[in-house]
Amino acid sequence: MIDRMGAWPRRRVLAGMVGATAALGAPAILRAAPSGKPVRVGGTLSLTGFLAQTAVVHKIASEIMVEEINSRNGFLGRPVEYVLLDDQSKPDVARSLYEKLITVDKVDLIQGPYATAPILAAMGVAQRYGKVIIQSSMGIPKLQTYDMAFPATPFGPNPDQTYPNVILDAMASMPTPPKTIVILTSKFPSAQFMAQGMREQSEKRGVKVVLYLEYESGNRDFGAIAARVKEANADFLWVGSLGLESNQVLEALRKLDYTPKNSFHLYPAPGPLALSPDAKNALCSTFLEPAEPFMSRPGVARQAAAYKERATKANLPYAIIDAQAAGMISEWQILEAGVNGAKSLDDKAIAAFLKKNGADTIYGNLRFDGPYNHGTAEQLIKQVQNGEWKVVWPAKYAAPGVKLIGS
Amino acid sequence: MTSANALPSALPRLAAVLGIAVFAILPTAGLPAFYDSFFYIVFFWISLSTSWALLSGFAGYFSLGHAAFFGVGMYTTATLTTQFQVPFLATVPAAAAVAALLGIGIGAVVFRLKRLRGELFALLTLAVTFVIATIILNTPIDGGAGVFMSAVPMPDIMPTQTGTIYVLGFVMCAATLAIAWKVAHSRLGMGLFAIHDDEDVAEAKGVPTFRYKMAAFALSAGIAGAVGGIHAMYVGFLTVGGTFELTVPLYVVLMSVLGGSRHWFGPTVGAAVITTLLYAFISGGEAMIGRAIVGLILIVAILWLPDGVVPAVQKWFRKRKASETEPAASIVPVVTAPARPVGERTILEVRGVTKRFGGLQALDGVDLDVREGEILGLVGPNGSGKTTLINVISGFYPLSSGTIAVDGAQIGHLPAHEVAGRGVARTYQIPRPFVNMTVLDNVALAATFGGPVRPAAEVRDEAVHWIAFTGLAGKEQALPAELNLHERKFLELARALAARPKLLLLDEVLSGLNPAEVDNAIRLVRAIRAQGATIVFVEHLMRAVVELSDRIAVLNEGKLFALGAPREVMRDPRVISIYLGKAYAA
Amino acid sequence: MPSATLLGQALISGVLAGGMYGLLALGLSLSWGLLRLVNLSHFALAFLAAYIVYDLGTNYHVAPWWSAMMVVPAMFLIGVAQHWLFDKFKVNELASLLITFSFAMIVEAGIQLHWTADYRRFETHYSTWSLRAGPFYIPVLELVLCIVAGILAWGTWLWLRKTYVGKALRASAEDADIAAAFGIDHKKLAYLLSGIGAAYAGVAGTFIALIATLAPAQIWAWLGVVFAVVIIGRLGNPLGALFAGMLIGASESLAMAVLSPAWAPVVSFSVLIVILLWDPDWL
Repeated sequence: MIDRMGAWPRRRVLAGMVGATAALGAPAILRAAPSGKPVRVGGTLSLTGFLAQTAVVHKIASEIMVEEINSRNGFLGRPVEYVLLDDQSKPDVARSLYEKLITVDKVDLIQGPYATAPILAAMGVAQRYGKVIIQSSMGIPKLQTYDMAFPATPFGPNPDQTYPNVILDAMASMPTPPKTIVILTSKFPSAQFMAQGMREQSEKRGVKVVLYLEYESGNRDFGAIAARVKEANADFLWVGSLGLESNQVLEALRKLDYTPKNSFHLYPAPGPLALSPDAKNALCSTFLEPAEPFMSRPGVARQAAAYKERATKANLPYAIIDAQAAGMISEWQILEAGVNGAKSLDDKAIAAFLKKNGADTIYGNLRFDGPYNHGTAEQLIKQVQNGEWKVVWPAKYAAPGVKLIGS
Repeated sequence: MTSANALPSALPRLAAVLGIAVFAILPTAGLPAFYDSFFYIVFFWISLSTSWALLSGFAGYFSLGHAAFFGVGMYTTATLTTQFQVPFLATVPAAAAVAALLGIGIGAVVFRLKRLRGELFALLTLAVTFVIATIILNTPIDGGAGVFMSAVPMPDIMPTQTGTIYVLGFVMCAATLAIAWKVAHSRLGMGLFAIHDDEDVAEAKGVPTFRYKMAAFALSAGIAGAVGGIHAMYVGFLTVGGTFELTVPLYVVLMSVLGGSRHWFGPTVGAAVITTLLYAFISGGEAMIGRAIVGLILIVAILWLPDGVVPAVQKWFRKRKASETEPAASIVPVVTAPARPVGERTILEVRGVTKRFGGLQALDGVDLDVREGEILGLVGPNGSGKTTLINVISGFYPLSSGTIAVDGAQIGHLPAHEVAGRGVARTYQIPRPFVNMTVLDNVALAATFGGPVRPAAEVRDEAVHWIAFTGLAGKEQALPAELNLHERKFLELARALAARPKLLLLDEVLSGLNPAEVDNAIRLVRAIRAQGATIVFVEHLMRAVVELSDRIAVLNEGKLFALGAPREVMRDPRVISIYLGKAYAA
Repeated sequence: MPSATLLGQALISGVLAGGMYGLLALGLSLSWGLLRLVNLSHFALAFLAAYIVYDLGTNYHVAPWWSAMMVVPAMFLIGVAQHWLFDKFKVNELASLLITFSFAMIVEAGIQLHWTADYRRFETHYSTWSLRAGPFYIPVLELVLCIVAGILAWGTWLWLRKTYVGKALRASAEDADIAAAFGIDHKKLAYLLSGIGAAYAGVAGTFIALIATLAPAQIWAWLGVVFAVVIIGRLGNPLGALFAGMLIGASESLAMAVLSPAWAPVVSFSVLIVILLWDPDWL
């Protein structure tokens, strides 16, 4: 259980401990399972369409969390039921489905969808009906203008300013700190947003941007782009990529017999990139990896194992828990904290509680009292080392013995 | 599609009024807000697919670029509201206007080029979409960051936002359907349907094809733009990828095909069916199986109803009506019209007409006069330029040099539809009827565009008259495919006559007919002349030429070789030699 | 101004990328031009082949050329079966769009059910091999693809031009009734052609597995550009399809070398529009 002792009356804690001990000692006796009418939580995910490859991760994470919540107290002692619909990767479908969930299916609460455009569509609906909406994958915090929207991933209010500095710090710590940088980005809103920030901050900190290239998302042929990157031959390559673009860029560079000295990739699909033979020591953004210090956070080890098991069963090629899955886990943890903390299913009460108290999640304690309800930024850097992702920066998040490998 | 509606006319009208009334008051019925959204989406697809069908379904100019107009509309509204604080409702007509302008711009360039039909037009519209999407992506209109619309205030038409969106979508849909209905039942629609079947013939019958295509394209684009403008508010956050993805252009085609793209109501049926299907399988548990099932349903539907739902329903209704006995085309009653004396007015004056195709000189300085009421036979060996001369006179080919005047008016450089407007009509050697229109509609079209503007009932009567005149009485509702060659040739004649031409150009109207049919045709040609037409006819069947013609003109290698009374010309040794070689001339 | 090396490399890269467009366009062009059927499921079949090649290669270590030898004939049979359906129901051009789209939807759903929506990459040790020619690099896999595409395109073209069967097919496409009067069995030929088109999808799929990463939604990613290639290359003209693919690939790549890469589609499609307006026969 998440450590919230301070907020609970002593009596309850004692009772809980007695109950827990009894439960441990007598497995044949069922624990007090949540009972009664289910609390229905409605949401959509892009189960088909071009966003489907990541939405499936969210779906599995949700299933794990709903089970976990129901193995505890559910929501206010009632079991949780996740009413999940497919928004087909289309924001207008997402919008209409959230309206269906709220006005026709009359769900009690809602959970956010995946990716910026569906999230914004859903946010509009949530705002009109005064529902709390929690999301974990919108990379442009300033668009989260709805007061009762909560971010489950600690981007921080302006990641385009804060995160580049994290990267630049890491760069400065390398044996030979890079002095020149090539910035290559997709024109997808969340990637382009961060790329512009990277350019700004690099110039502020004296790293010369020798080449800044934008390509349209969905670009097929990276040959010419690779040729330009190779020609620029900077000390550091920063790629604002999504999905498979990093693989494509690195492969295209290798075909030209060029390996960038250091490379960073923003939001690629983690599995394929880790397994790519061209991605040795590539850096990437993350919020969590299944290693210390994250694994010793309460419940994480179990969630990681459950994720691995289910993902493998679902035939996913990459079955390791990552920031996307963690984001969804965090969403549910926040909702649970809000409901059980406010002791109510009323959205206003939940929102007030969360704003006041924050929530303990897989990412640690998150607060929602900053601009756009965002708290401190906790975006980290991971690196491919021996085919596996390892968090390397800031150093305090690196597992013992793991260091950033720079050239 | 004008007269073939077999339902009692009161029923569809009643259904329409009822439908409009029900949907108009639906948002006040207290249904959950989701239904407002769902119906909005249905209206959205109905408007988009119907607007696509205006050009691509009616006229057959298959466009793959509907997303361009839709996207331009969306971004016009997005830019005006977020960057210039223009109230949302005012931006919708602007969106329509910008999109329509784009359509007109494209059409002005493309529709003039004969070679850009069919797939090339599809390709062009697709290419335009890519270009526009990329421009929007790389300029401050979007720039890659997307446009955030949720802060733009919605007008207060209904108490809820979804109610307002519903009303906007509904009004758009009703307006679109009204426009589609009006177009389908107007001269514009008739012309578009004809363009679909055979654009060159339509032009020759007097349809101003360029103007009509532009009108259809402008309407199509404008509606799509307006729909886009409204949709910008619905989506809340615009991205270039999401707006210009292939879904819009592909779905409007599929919906129109499913419902029937030539019918004004077809896309509505298709849009409603497909949208409902897509929403039927939204549950997260069966998302993929759901899509497979939708695919299966669509396959079964189109295999069963290959022309679309609405045409199939129409066909079913038509079959239910008692099928009349189909009398064979009757022999044209002998018109004992007195041989009219040839008049004094020169109806056709051809001076020094040449026509070159690259290096080939098809016509080399032809001079010809044809007087009012005359029947002139035009003969000559193959390749002598007979059909070319007809094509040049009717305006299908532009002249290389020379002049042509019809009843005193110069027509040498007019587009074909204006030549038709000056009283010139022609038939084709291989009949080219409008294959998707009934016999009556074929002739009515010629009457509509060949004569003064008059009420539809008058046009219909005229058409029926000419159908009877050519012996096709009773076949008004038949499609050309159901006619035999003889009947189709007479349909050509009926069409030509329905325009009450001053000058009738017949291109081998007798070829392929048996002797009895030939006699019938000769009688008919005489009857036509008795009505006051002047006739120039190309023919190979010598006995008919000699029998019918007042004079015969012989063409050889693009030049007028001989001209005179039939017996003299046919006995001229030079004429015989060009047909059979010098050995026979003696 | 970019260096000559950069431009040259971009040109090479673009032409090779265009080979893939051409290979995909080949089958589609044949069925559209000679059978008057617009087969949107072509892409889905290509991806199905790609997934199978990936699966056999990753799980059973079957080399791609062996997999291809199994997959391509299987695709041929699927093409024949498809045509049986079209023939039996006398499907016209517009209806074929809808049917093949639906068929593609079903295949996509099937792919996603079996292999999930997650990315799949067929890793081979030779995927980044390149030949060096002076300052230029020529990726081997793409080169092989272009050679295969060239052979197939040229072979098909020869077959259509020179052999009886080929001429018969073209005759049937122009006027089926007259051709039948001359004893040409349109039906059998159409089945053959449909099978070949699908087989070409299988070949394309093999290379897609080797070169690209697979996801079900990717089926639709190629639609626009391949459609353009098919039309530019003229329907039913295999060499035209290949040439057009390379033209588009090269123009896009050169544009990406000189301008901001995000502007590339404007350049390639504007060039296209200008050519179309000026004189499409030049293509």
